[in-house]
Amino acid sequence: MSQLSMNNTAARTILVCCGTGCQANGSMAVYQAFRRELADSPGTQVHTYTKSTGCNGWCEKGPLVKILPDEITYCRVKSEDVPEIIASLRYGTVMERLLYRDPVTKQVYRSHRDTNFYKKQRKVALRNIGEIDPANIQDYLDRDGYNALRKALTMPPAQVIEEVLQSGLRGRGGGGFPTGLKWKACAAVERTPRYVICNGDEGDPGAFMDRSIMEGDPHSVLEGMIICAHAIGASAGFIYVRDEYDLAVHHLSRAVEDARKHGFLGKNILGSDLSFDIEIVRGGGAFVCGEETALIASIEGNPGEPRDKYIFPTEKGLWGQPTVINNVETWANVPVIINRGAAEFASIGTTGSKGTKVFSLVGKVVNTGLVEVPMGTTLREIIYDIGEGIQKGRKFKAVQTGGPSGGCIPEDLLDLEVDFDSLTAAGSMMGSGGLIVMDDRTCMVEVARYYVNFLAGESCGKCVPCREGISLLLETLTRICEGKGRLEDLDLLESVSATLQQAALCALGRTAPNPVLSTLKYFRDEYLAHIVDHRCPAGICKELTEFYIDPELCTGCGRCRRKCPANAVAGEKKQAHVIDPSRCIKCGECINNCNFQAVKVK
Amino acid sequence: MRIKIDGIEIDVTSGETILEAARRAGIHIPTLCYHEAFGGQGICRMCIVEVKEGNRTRLVASCTYPVNGEIEVKTSTPEIERIRRNIVMLLYRRAPNSEFMKRLYEEYGRPADITPADPEESCIMCRLCVRACEKVGSHAISAVLRGTEKRISTPYDEPSPDCIGCCACAQVCPTGTIKVSTMPGKYEIWNKAFEMDRCESCGRPFVPPVILEHVRSKLGPEFTEEHLCPDCRKKKTGKIMADSHMSK
Amino acid sequence: MAGDIRQAAALQEMEQIIAQYPAERRYILAIMQDLQKKFNYLPKEGLQMTARHVNAPMSTVYSMATFYKAFSLVPKGRVNFKVCDGTACHIKGSQTIINEIYQCLGIKPGETTPDGEFSLETVNCLGACAIAPVLVANQKVYAKVTPAAVREIIKEHGGQINEPAVNE
Repeated sequence: MSQLSMNNTAARTILVCCGTGCQANGSMAVYQAFRRELADSPGTQVHTYTKSTGCNGWCEKGPLVKILPDEITYCRVKSEDVPEIIASLRYGTVMERLLYRDPVTKQVYRSHRDTNFYKKQRKVALRNIGEIDPANIQDYLDRDGYNALRKALTMPPAQVIEEVLQSGLRGRGGGGFPTGLKWKACAAVERTPRYVICNGDEGDPGAFMDRSIMEGDPHSVLEGMIICAHAIGASAGFIYVRDEYDLAVHHLSRAVEDARKHGFLGKNILGSDLSFDIEIVRGGGAFVCGEETALIASIEGNPGEPRDKYIFPTEKGLWGQPTVINNVETWANVPVIINRGAAEFASIGTTGSKGTKVFSLVGKVVNTGLVEVPMGTTLREIIYDIGEGIQKGRKFKAVQTGGPSGGCIPEDLLDLEVDFDSLTAAGSMMGSGGLIVMDDRTCMVEVARYYVNFLAGESCGKCVPCREGISLLLETLTRICEGKGRLEDLDLLESVSATLQQAALCALGRTAPNPVLSTLKYFRDEYLAHIVDHRCPAGICKELTEFYIDPELCTGCGRCRRKCPANAVAGEKKQAHVIDPSRCIKCGECINNCNFQAVKVK
Repeated sequence: MRIKIDGIEIDVTSGETILEAARRAGIHIPTLCYHEAFGGQGICRMCIVEVKEGNRTRLVASCTYPVNGEIEVKTSTPEIERIRRNIVMLLYRRAPNSEFMKRLYEEYGRPADITPADPEESCIMCRLCVRACEKVGSHAISAVLRGTEKRISTPYDEPSPDCIGCCACAQVCPTGTIKVSTMPGKYEIWNKAFEMDRCESCGRPFVPPVILEHVRSKLGPEFTEEHLCPDCRKKKTGKIMADSHMSK
Repeated sequence: MAGDIRQAAALQEMEQIIAQYPAERRYILAIMQDLQKKFNYLPKEGLQMTARHVNAPMSTVYSMATFYKAFSLVPKGRVNFKVCDGTACHIKGSQTIINEIYQCLGIKPGETTPDGEFSLETVNCLGACAIAPVLVANQKVYAKVTPAAVREIIKEHGGQINEPAVNE
């Protein structure tokens, strides 16, 4: 244990991350252990206060425990470690074994802030997450909470809209529509009541920034919505949350109650003319409800089917009334813009996309978790500097952005400066900000099939191009993955994709072919390998895969033999092993577990 | 205001759809899910047209696009025709067992050689049946499930207590998917059998009691007509006319 | 007789749940969520009562019950396994978890064991991608699940494990 330079009798705050990721790793037990241990030993020299916080985004290293003001971060803490941590606080020492150690440089980091994962990040939307107890409104108030609302209430509504417009904030849910324009259009419609909706139906597989914000900093979302209510003259607000997000529903409900008690919601908010309240609506589990008009249908008590959007919800939205819908991350940015001014916000980012964007960096990358960076950061910086490259030293193949509406971006575009427009130009899209890293063990045809299969179940099934087009795309891609593909299939995929893009009713349908078209564009050779050469280069499509062991590289360690569930690997110790293709079930355990890259795909 | 469709100037009222305006002017736009009685649904997308507004050109569904300004519309371009051919191909793939789709598939020159998904299927999911049922006020059928599984049914595929056997759904169905099977004195639709009441005069079965009840509930208590089949009613009316004529 | 009493009690519970909500169509979703939580599925009588309560057609309520994935029209098992098949979980091997559950319990996604103990479903991204692959047993989230862990999880929830079929 190394000595702390701090005065060891200072008051400490112990923050235990209790986001979904850390909870799955057992953080509640750690939190309870702290409470118990500290209650059992009164009269301790250290004044401690334990809080459970929202998601720090470093889920892979969880459960995370932070000690303030010392700025110590402990990783993968178990409840057994708790007595030792408390003792260390008394004696003013740091427990080195729980600090983060860089797997390559072996360097030990005392605070998570110094690690590569955090250093390049810039927290705006995630400013409070992991720093406050989301169930305690006082924590939020202590960090400038609801000051933006106070300020906004002194401004004329038009000025608030102007400020948001000037900031250049664009919708974080995927479309990237300028938020200020939306508000302005809604405020301009004479009819009342007007409504404000928070879209918390985060459904892109591989994205979880909205969950993290709703769980970890619910008041920032409420504050954004109340400011908007003042700006557009709305009387009621709705937060539509995925029902699967239990903790988010719980924390948001608590936040709404507390905000009412403090006079931030209800009649004559903070003594002003503004009367506004928020209701929480639990979604029913439908990806398509992330689409605004489907979400509105769902709140109204209908199946979540979109309608043609020739008239925008800002004019005819919920129950036919003028309505502003913004995504969770968008709302969380609003108080910052009002507090610090549009100019400061607009100083971050690129010409067309201002501010920061939260990405969920997942897949075959070393550091996984939530990453917030200025718009314009390159994919390479995100994946290699923050994410520290590909797991197990394998080869990068593609990064998928934008979920089922997005596309796969190849290695030669890694220096792309990420913003709304650059991703669209590359045939993908921002979406809600999922970044799924894929390596040479990912089959791009199978990835396209995966997304299309996802949409086959998630399309609302209303319009013909989407329902029937996706069905045909899925049938064709499945055929290719099973080794029965024909060269004409590629033309068919392109032709049907074009019809979807041009004629489908809603954005979900119009963007549904993106995973197909982007893989056809950048990874056509893999399609051809499946169709012409009858092989799957990644070794994923079982009908087209045969594994073999390169005797030059095999050390005879026996790891693959032990991992093989089908007893298909044979070989003596320290001798090159051999795979029996007739027994092999193509599960890939051998190739995934080989430390010498000796298992190959034929 | 005035808009141009295929070069023809047409006066429209604000909010009228492009399709309505075109039909009024006698310009044909193909549709599969449209019926004048229910308005545009935006489902089949066959009615896609190109709209030019200022410098912006885009494709829209003419059955749901409300005219709100000066626009120029083209109802057919090579791009639009490609879309229509693909839609016909996709629907034929779905519903190969429908004469209607077979004919359309041939009309559009057999776009793409595809294998039909289910050889027995004939429904194209235009939902005109659901609209008709709603309009009658029964609400017995609806679109259930979602995604590629979506289909039309009564709740639990069981005979629905809300179904009055009016058969409006079967009448409006373009592919003849909804079957009405008739048997002596009764008929069946959506798995529900309807016994018919007999004519008070000739004793022939002619209408199920639920329909009469429905009609009575709509027309009010003053509607106290006898139970007569159309033939007997005609005879009766004729007789009254003749009697009144005779008495003059 | 006992069945009738149980049925009456269930109907009463449904009534209580439904009565908590104003008679407005927009509460259909919320009512169905509460019914699903209470009964592990949506009983037909519950949907009929809901339709009457909010004065909506039964066909509309049924349409919603089949549209949203949170609902089931048949009872789920005492322990409901949800295997996340979001992209991150998918490329990290969610399929092997599904296979292992099939090996151990003989159920595929959408199925329930004959004794009503376990059911399995796949779900779209649960937003826990950093700890993929993820399995949820009732409310409890398990991180980085391996086939071996699946067996432990089943045991933890009181399940008997079928011996895996011996490979030829």
